[in-house]
Amino acid sequence: MVRFSRFRTDVPWKPRPEKGCILDAGKGEAALPAEELELIQRSLNGDLEAWGEIVSRYKEAVFAVTLSILRNYADAEDATQDAFIRAYQNLRKYDLSRKFSTWLFTVAANVAKNALRKRRREREPPLPEMDKDPAEEVHEDIKLAAVRRAVTELPEPYRAPVVLYYWHGLPVEEIGEVLGLPAGTVKTRLHRARALIRAKLVEQGVIRDAVG
Amino acid sequence: MRWDEVDELLRAALTKEVEEGAKGLAGLEERVIRELARRPVRRSFWERVREFLSRPTPRWALVGALAALLLGFALGRLTAPSPVPQWSPNLFVIAAPGAKSVAVVGDFSAWQPIPLSDPDGDGIWSASIPLPPGRYEYAFLVDGKWVGQDPLAEEYLRTFGEYVSVRYIGGGRANPSS
Repeated sequence: MVRFSRFRTDVPWKPRPEKGCILDAGKGEAALPAEELELIQRSLNGDLEAWGEIVSRYKEAVFAVTLSILRNYADAEDATQDAFIRAYQNLRKYDLSRKFSTWLFTVAANVAKNALRKRRREREPPLPEMDKDPAEEVHEDIKLAAVRRAVTELPEPYRAPVVLYYWHGLPVEEIGEVLGLPAGTVKTRLHRARALIRAKLVEQGVIRDAVG
Repeated sequence: MRWDEVDELLRAALTKEVEEGAKGLAGLEERVIRELARRPVRRSFWERVREFLSRPTPRWALVGALAALLLGFALGRLTAPSPVPQWSPNLFVIAAPGAKSVAVVGDFSAWQPIPLSDPDGDGIWSASIPLPPGRYEYAFLVDGKWVGQDPLAEEYLRTFGEYVSVRYIGGGRANPSS
């Protein structure tokens, strides 16, 4: 196993005294846990070990964001890695008035959207999407498998709001911030996505048509 | 099946989806660190902007032409008269003085926005949408902001942390105006 401290640089970063800069956090304005703040400050000073800890904490959540946009495990893994690299390189732009996770998810969503555009340009038709072996599905709850397929088949603009709402549990306003959309648009997409999924499940006979 | 049951299924399915995929994230920390340690220092955004602006490019002309086209379209929309519809159960109407755009979204449109209009500029926006008898969930979008409680609705539901209005057309419930 590689020790992170191998990569630590000894050149400290000199911050610009900007309003809302992460280094103003000592004034009690930060909405960030102290431990996480320290990790970010160390990262800003070039401590890659500290950034490794941030990666460890957020990798699954960032992966969920990139997967929702790219629908492909391999591409989502690559985008997750790129997102952490991009976030580190732009860490000076992170503003304390925002939640760190929201900012990080925004970076991840942008990286994934760019990767999706690139994929569309380079490979047409797109990669087959995470098809499962039907024999494997025997062991999986049939309803869940059908819902997973229905989510995968959702049009691209709907998947990310669905994952951010149902998996990350983010409020609509924060989803809007991450995806750069007005809250109203997020709500319409959530409604539409849920209606599409439900229609698909009814069509497949997985659930009945009556709404309670 | 109730909507909250659909919600639960969605949560469970997504948890499984991410769990399975996240197995490939083992060692990501080391890969990120290795990559960062290897990369040269990037030029700042402003340095790249300065370089971009210093190059003669036809893109600015394209942006200007597009802006002029949009302005012309907007002015045409503002000056074109349109008739005020008569009230009917299919009429969706909301007071939104000063709004730039108003739309209604609902299950009848697969939650796609249907624009409302305010031809006389009095702040009352409306659209008549022919709908067959049934129960309909909807909300208004006023300048992109969700307005879920229509005073003309017969009931409200709370979903995704916000209200949606419910209207019954052609029976089922009493008409709110009666």
